[in-house]
Amino acid sequence: MNYFQLFGIEVSFDVDLNQLSQTYQTLQKSVHPDKFAHASSQEQLIAVQKSAELNDAYQTIKQPLARAEYILTLRGVELPNEQHTFGDTRFLMRQMELREMLEEVTHAEDVDAALAAAQQELAQEYQQHFSLLQAQICENTDAANMLACDNLRKLKFYQKLNIEVDRLEDSLFDD
Amino acid sequence: MALLQIAEPGLSTVPHEHRLAAGIDLGTTNSLIASVQSGEASTLVDQDGRDILPSIVSYQPNDILVGEGAKSLSVSDPQNTIVSAKRLIGRSLADIQSKYPSLPYQFTGDENKPEIVTRKGNINPVQVSAEILKSLSQRAEQALGGELTGVVVTVPAHFDDAQRQSTKDAAKLAGVNVLRLLNEPTAAAVAYGLDSGQEGVIAIYDLGGGTFDISVLRLNKGVFEVLSTGGDSALGGDDFDVVLADYLVEQAGLTRPLSPTLERQLIKQACYAKEQLTTLDNVEVTLTLSADESNEKNEQVWSTNISKETFDGLISALVKKTLRACRRSLKDANISVDEVLEVVMVGGSTRVPLVRSEVEKYFNKTPLTSIDPDKVVAIGAAIQADILAGNKPDSDILLLDVIPLSLGLETMGGLVEKVIHRNTTIPVAKAQEFTTFKDGQTAMAVHVLQGERELVDDCRSLARFELRGIPAMTAGAAHIRVTFKVDADGLLSVSAMEKSSGVEASIEVKPSFGIDDSKIAQMLKDSMNNAKADIDARMLKEQQVEAARVIESVKAAIALDHHLLDAEETSTIEQVINSLAEISQGDDADAIEAAIKKLDQATDVFAERRMDSSINKALSGQSVDKL
Repeated sequence: MNYFQLFGIEVSFDVDLNQLSQTYQTLQKSVHPDKFAHASSQEQLIAVQKSAELNDAYQTIKQPLARAEYILTLRGVELPNEQHTFGDTRFLMRQMELREMLEEVTHAEDVDAALAAAQQELAQEYQQHFSLLQAQICENTDAANMLACDNLRKLKFYQKLNIEVDRLEDSLFDD
Repeated sequence: MALLQIAEPGLSTVPHEHRLAAGIDLGTTNSLIASVQSGEASTLVDQDGRDILPSIVSYQPNDILVGEGAKSLSVSDPQNTIVSAKRLIGRSLADIQSKYPSLPYQFTGDENKPEIVTRKGNINPVQVSAEILKSLSQRAEQALGGELTGVVVTVPAHFDDAQRQSTKDAAKLAGVNVLRLLNEPTAAAVAYGLDSGQEGVIAIYDLGGGTFDISVLRLNKGVFEVLSTGGDSALGGDDFDVVLADYLVEQAGLTRPLSPTLERQLIKQACYAKEQLTTLDNVEVTLTLSADESNEKNEQVWSTNISKETFDGLISALVKKTLRACRRSLKDANISVDEVLEVVMVGGSTRVPLVRSEVEKYFNKTPLTSIDPDKVVAIGAAIQADILAGNKPDSDILLLDVIPLSLGLETMGGLVEKVIHRNTTIPVAKAQEFTTFKDGQTAMAVHVLQGERELVDDCRSLARFELRGIPAMTAGAAHIRVTFKVDADGLLSVSAMEKSSGVEASIEVKPSFGIDDSKIAQMLKDSMNNAKADIDARMLKEQQVEAARVIESVKAAIALDHHLLDAEETSTIEQVINSLAEISQGDDADAIEAAIKKLDQATDVFAERRMDSSINKALSGQSVDKL
């Protein structure tokens, strides 16, 4: 049973997150270890496993990038691992520029404004790649799936940059 | 190791059998116990009518005093009177000494298992907590008139794995059966949510004596979903006392180190001043400077006046620190300040006026104090204990909690690779693959860490173990799969396996802090003061009770879901049940244990099918709802 089937929904990139959350809570009410606190240790063990599986399924479908990756895996698309070299030099150059931009935020005259501008720029580029990914996954041809893989990797670069932004924000506020 | 209650065979399926259960708020400064009686949760009082038990244990020559009796000895006998043991539990010696440099205790023992030297021998903080738990559970058994089936013990949401494990060990040592470790803010949310019937996003601001937690939850149709939690397991009202005591030291022109008695006096006076300043604008503080430790007869009395402004100035940095944690938690939850419907204040330290006004300013709404901030955690724990004990089979309540701190492994270069991120809903199981660094490498050191920082040195080391017997291969060819599992108590277990060659080697680990299982067993035996025969009799009785419980639960399952088994499967299980029933009449505890395991194995597939069938039932119920 795949994660989508677990929630009784079709494998699709478009997910009704509200409905997903309702189903998730209903299912947890029937398998959560708290419901088996007085049962045998064996039933408790199974409850922990099922509940953990459900949590993993929920997180995977809820988060768009994890969902995309999961759908591609279900389609049998081999995802390149992280150490694999990445050929798109223009994209990599752009990533270096963005990193430099973040470093400069701390030296800006108006730090808050610089940070907000940087966040906006990142969000915009993320959205561009994300829209592409969405279309490619919907198309579901071999070629489109390969392109989706590529885009997914790029989006993960942005995800990492966003973690940097969070860290930067924390350090700026921790005075 | 409290025994479970059990009725006569054949009568045990009485529908409304009420099992005695309680919730314990094991606090840094004060502890409470509460229970649900006739549908109403309330705190239980001692023979003097008090519900608050000061979390203080005093080791006297002929007696171990807990609570008020111990409190009166905290100044006159500081070295044998342990205050705020919760701040020490599950911590290394170096950690304790850097965080609390002026404690009056003398420490000894292992770096990872520090003990306090008292006249009754060396005492581990786990033992101190166990005394408090024992005292509370005795109070409950007297008040409720019977043995407790189990308790829910609350812990700060921000407690790390070692601190949680140590708390559970303390309960084991006290002979108390723990149904669940529950995060304090989640317990408070249950009490508040059921009381108000509110739905939507709420924040719980919990500032206790020694710990601070902030949790953001979404309440929806009986589900309490924790979206994020944050805080500081070493920040609380006690720290307000410490900064005020430091100020007094400076004002009185004293130089440290001071005598333990004077240190305790300083803290006591600082605490008094803090409490007075919740209603007054000024307070007079008096210290007796040359008390009992010297031979000088002329006691020197020193006094000063402290204004509310001075106090606010001293603690404002600490209060700001709590607000930074609030900001981070809201961000983790992806919730804006405006989306928070209510901020519930929990913990005695939220009485400090500056705390209230700063929280109000940050959340832009008046914080709620409608439920007594001292009792709300114990009340919530009691409600959950009642459910977990099985007294409310139709309850719609479900708590979905998270882990407070990320869990990871050490990789090359002293870096931490996170396997489970903070604020992941529990229970959770995650696996990650690693490989060898050198050609022919046959062993791998696995170092488990907890924390948010990137460097190993900045994270909390939980455990180390070695995976041996990896077949020699070229570097990078081995696939070592490390699995992290966190259960519903928030407790971690880790296993590792080499899978590319088909050779399996795995190991389960427990954090290296606190007390070993074998030592706990020994302590339990010592505390029982019984002959070996008595202990054996107890073990036998426990196994018999467990056997009866398992048989009953399997029979009930078959009665309910026999359609999931074919005739042959049913008869196999019945045979195993009969054999267990027969063995459990005998007096071989080990044989009974083995027979229970056999029944567990025989019903494995059946239990899985039942779980799947209940998932399907829940799903189809859901789609009917949709129509």
